[in-house]
Amino acid sequence: MSKHNNFIERSLIGAVTFLKESIFSDECASHKGFLQSLDPRVKTITFLLAILQILFAKDALTLACLYVFCLLLAGVSGIHLGFFLKRTWVFMPLFSLFIAIPALFSVFTPGEVIGSFRAFGLTLSITRQGLQGAVLFVARVITSVSFVVLLSLTTKHFALLKVLRIFKIPQIFVMTIGMCYRYIYLFVEIIENTYLAIKSRVGTGVSYKRGQHIVAWNIAYLWQRSYQFNEQVYSAMLSRGYRGEPVVLHDFKAKAKDWIWLLFVLSMLAGVFFIQKSRAL
Amino acid sequence: MNNHIFELKDVHFTYLGKYPALRGIDITIKQGEKVSLIGANGSGKSTLLHVLDALIFPEKGSMKVFGEQVQENKFNDEAYSKDFRKKVGLVFQNPDVQLFCPTVKEDILFGPLQLGIGKREIDRRLEELLSILNIKDLLERPPHQLSIGEKRKVTIASTLIIDPEVLILDEPTAGLDPLTTRHIIDLLIRANESGKTIVTATHDLHIVEEISDVVHVFSQDKRIVKSGLAHEILEDTELLKANNLVHIHSHKHKDKVHVHPHLHIDHHVHEN
Repeated sequence: MSKHNNFIERSLIGAVTFLKESIFSDECASHKGFLQSLDPRVKTITFLLAILQILFAKDALTLACLYVFCLLLAGVSGIHLGFFLKRTWVFMPLFSLFIAIPALFSVFTPGEVIGSFRAFGLTLSITRQGLQGAVLFVARVITSVSFVVLLSLTTKHFALLKVLRIFKIPQIFVMTIGMCYRYIYLFVEIIENTYLAIKSRVGTGVSYKRGQHIVAWNIAYLWQRSYQFNEQVYSAMLSRGYRGEPVVLHDFKAKAKDWIWLLFVLSMLAGVFFIQKSRAL
Repeated sequence: MNNHIFELKDVHFTYLGKYPALRGIDITIKQGEKVSLIGANGSGKSTLLHVLDALIFPEKGSMKVFGEQVQENKFNDEAYSKDFRKKVGLVFQNPDVQLFCPTVKEDILFGPLQLGIGKREIDRRLEELLSILNIKDLLERPPHQLSIGEKRKVTIASTLIIDPEVLILDEPTAGLDPLTTRHIIDLLIRANESGKTIVTATHDLHIVEEISDVVHVFSQDKRIVKSGLAHEILEDTELLKANNLVHIHSHKHKDKVHVHPHLHIDHHVHEN
């Protein structure tokens, strides 16, 4: 197979595998661990509170403590540390490094110079204030991302969707996201099967232009399929009494363990808040 | 007073105004009856089921359901619409169309929740269905993780939980293994014995006799060409052959090759 076709093949298989593994597997959420046993509403609220605390944290030590707390939670929830670190650090360049690196230099953050070097004919100086700011920023991002990833890993996605309802997000919006989630998987499977069908018929000898043509045609076909599906699904909803305002099931049940967890997190965050405040004074 | 649930006279329907799907359908379905619609692919069976479930409406002809003329604008009335949906339930041909919620439980409960059935009653019906269909373990799973047989059971559960008087099924056994097919047939027979009217579209001839009192045969030109008792229809090989429901089949017996029309029913007789 030509280099270009390999590119199409790798991109397709990579995207499909990523979607299946990361979005649809719910594997970690099915483990019997501490976070998995909590009520998703209580868990989401406590994680949001922790993220708020991270946003207002003013020193790296507090952030480091919260990060360690997050790693401990991952550990007691049966999540392999290596897997968790890989999952969280993969987002780092995307979210923070590109912003944090320029902030190191005196051009953007003037202050006390702690080191200089020459690059591209320019002298670049790193400042203490720049370094502190960048470290704080990266620490804040990695800790927040870790809490978000931990929440999504330990909660089944449908439960997370249901949690959105308690934040008074319109029912129709939550339902639409739920249906998207449901049908993206179906379309991923169609893509996968279509690709295999093409591969079985055309073998290896496809020109780059022909490959482009096949991919474009399949995008159009998939769009048409999704459009047909949309009408049929709507009929299936009407058939079971849907009239434009979905009525949904509320079946969350908070247990004593959830209230104890909520109390613990509130006390811990309040403690961190007061320690920070007293240190500032 | 007659006990007719559906009375269709000269019903026509076309897709996009130019592709005919039903041509002059006359059909009457009585309360408690088991009715099958058989015909080749694209003969109009599914379209008729959608008409019976008032998802689409005849362009020409008349349709009475429970003695009342059915018109599209009547469904703007919430009480009328809810009453109709409680009485008539449709199991779609493609389970992926009907299972649109993130979990099996939400899919099963979607209907009764929309129709305002009380929580306690929903729980009672759910428990009953879970044990009948043996799907308790599937409740918290997303539909995309289910096998085709499990999906089919869940779609039937999601319709049966509404407890409709009329259960309409579009190819309920397509693609299923023999055991799951058996479960579904038994379920339909039990539902009929409890008083429900069962309307099934299929081209799976080996299930027709069990699930039908009356059979309507659809031809490729979107008409009903013959109606009658199940055994009468199944014995009319020429009719089945003319409507693509049997095929010529050859096999060996004692070094002798037999060629004859092959019906997909449980037993067939060899002349030699």
